[in-house]
Amino acid sequence: MIRLEKVTVAYGEQIVLDAIDLEIPTGKTMVILGESGSGKTTILKCVLGTLHPVSGRVLANNQDIGKLDEEGLLRFRQRMGMVFQEGALFDSLTVGENVAFWLWEHTALPDDKVEERVRTLLRFVGLEASIDQKPSDLSGGMRRRVAIARAMAAEDPAFMLYDEPTTGLDPFTSKSICDLMRRVQREFKSTNIVVTHDLTDAYRVGDLFTFIKDAKVIATGTRQEIEHSADPFIQTFLSLDS
Amino acid sequence: MAWRASPFRNSCAMPVKRIFLFLTGFLVTVQDFTVMVGRSFRYLFVHFRLRESLLEMDRLGVGSIPIVFLANLFAGLDMALQFSVVMAPYGASNLLGRVVATSIIRDMGPVLASLVMSARVTAGITSELGMMATTQQIEALLVMGVDPVDRLIAPKILAGMVMLPVLSVVGDLLGVLAGLMVAEFGAHVPGPLYWSGVRSALTLPNLVNGMLKPFVFGFILVAVGCFYGLRTTGGAQGVGRATTKAVVYAAIWILVANFLISKFLIDVWGWKL
Ligand SMILES: Nc1ncnc2c1ncn2[C@@H]1O[C@H](COP(=O)(O)OP(=O)(O)OP(=O)(O)O)[C@@H](O)[C@H]1O
Ligand SMILES: [Mg+2]
Repeated sequence: MIRLEKVTVAYGEQIVLDAIDLEIPTGKTMVILGESGSGKTTILKCVLGTLHPVSGRVLANNQDIGKLDEEGLLRFRQRMGMVFQEGALFDSLTVGENVAFWLWEHTALPDDKVEERVRTLLRFVGLEASIDQKPSDLSGGMRRRVAIARAMAAEDPAFMLYDEPTTGLDPFTSKSICDLMRRVQREFKSTNIVVTHDLTDAYRVGDLFTFIKDAKVIATGTRQEIEHSADPFIQTFLSLDS
Repeated sequence: MAWRASPFRNSCAMPVKRIFLFLTGFLVTVQDFTVMVGRSFRYLFVHFRLRESLLEMDRLGVGSIPIVFLANLFAGLDMALQFSVVMAPYGASNLLGRVVATSIIRDMGPVLASLVMSARVTAGITSELGMMATTQQIEALLVMGVDPVDRLIAPKILAGMVMLPVLSVVGDLLGVLAGLMVAEFGAHVPGPLYWSGVRSALTLPNLVNGMLKPFVFGFILVAVGCFYGLRTTGGAQGVGRATTKAVVYAAIWILVANFLISKFLIDVWGWKL
């Protein structure tokens, strides 16, 4: 379970999140929708604890993230996977090394076991052949898939966060990434947050949906609840996409 | 056009306010730097990474051999030449070896090696870490539960403190040998005379000086590079800005530290050579 309670974030004068409340039950996928610059990535940063809200609390499995010290945060994040908007692969390492990174850092597995697991993960995202390539030699979609494989390497990640995993990809790749996210959720029973602009993808992966506008949550709920919302912004958003 | 950056936008602020802002900014920077350095040293003790440290030593030290050697070679040639010109009228050419060796071991060797290295190493570290910071790779490390100070910075700082003394000592040797060439072929100082002067310069104070300085400089040039690299913001332009800043500050702090260490060691040992 992830819960945000009255979370407020400001960059200088600009209030990016204004007393946001949000709850994602364990094992569910929450999709966050909103315009560009509305603060979607900022929510993820609060959950990761890389950004401290001005006020309010972020709870993950009843643990207040704001109360953890630096080391506690590092330990907490070991059970967390995050796919960044731009992938954020380590460009000095190969694809295989990127995926192996978590295992090298947090386990004492022998090299052949690590390689076995890396190959399994890369096969899962359909990129076993690229194991020795550098991230800079891959296409955007391939990089995104490696990032997903890397995020899954944490032994049964309890939380998965995806920041616009399908933006800028062709419909086929988008669909395969959505299927992948579904499979990850089923496999690990993880609690997920997916940020996206794309309604089709949102419906593919989401159990719950939240709209952010002007630093506030304007609607949250299941697909039906969202579709029956009277809010004009949401109606426009939904109609534009279909 | 109000949105266009004005070249005067900084100079209109109140001078007192600017001085105040500068001072508080400076103090915060010093504090952040100290925290980073403290954490790296702690990691070197509680979580030592042999593999990464060796890799960094290889990258930082072995790759720098040619430039350090070239710099010291020509510095040694030039210094022997200049000193022999200055000393010849006083009939003091027999001291040439001692003077050249002393200045190389005490000052020129470590300072030159570090300045040349800061152009290569500090710039390299800052732009690499800066790139990582602007493409969210540092955040990705944090998200994977790894402290960037542990994984990236501590091994680099250790490598700097180990490799600079080594490079510097070998560079010193080369500089002294270059001086020998000038002595023999340019200044008509016989080789054995020059060499005995060099040997008389190998005193304990000089050797301590010659090891302590590169050790400290190695720390400075790596730590400053890491510090500005990690806090890079603002895309490619930000990386460029951070790199310039780091190289300039590293050079200045190396020269400041050089003076302070010289002063300190002279106070400890008195005016002995
Ligand atoms: N480091 C920062 N410094 C200042 N302002 C920032 C910073 N990061 C984000 N912002 C501001 O916060 C707001 C929300 O940013 P955020 O990245 O959360 O948007 P987003 O919803 O993820 O947008 P997108 O869909 O384009 O990725 C933006 O208006 C942005 O200007
Ligand atoms: Mg974003």
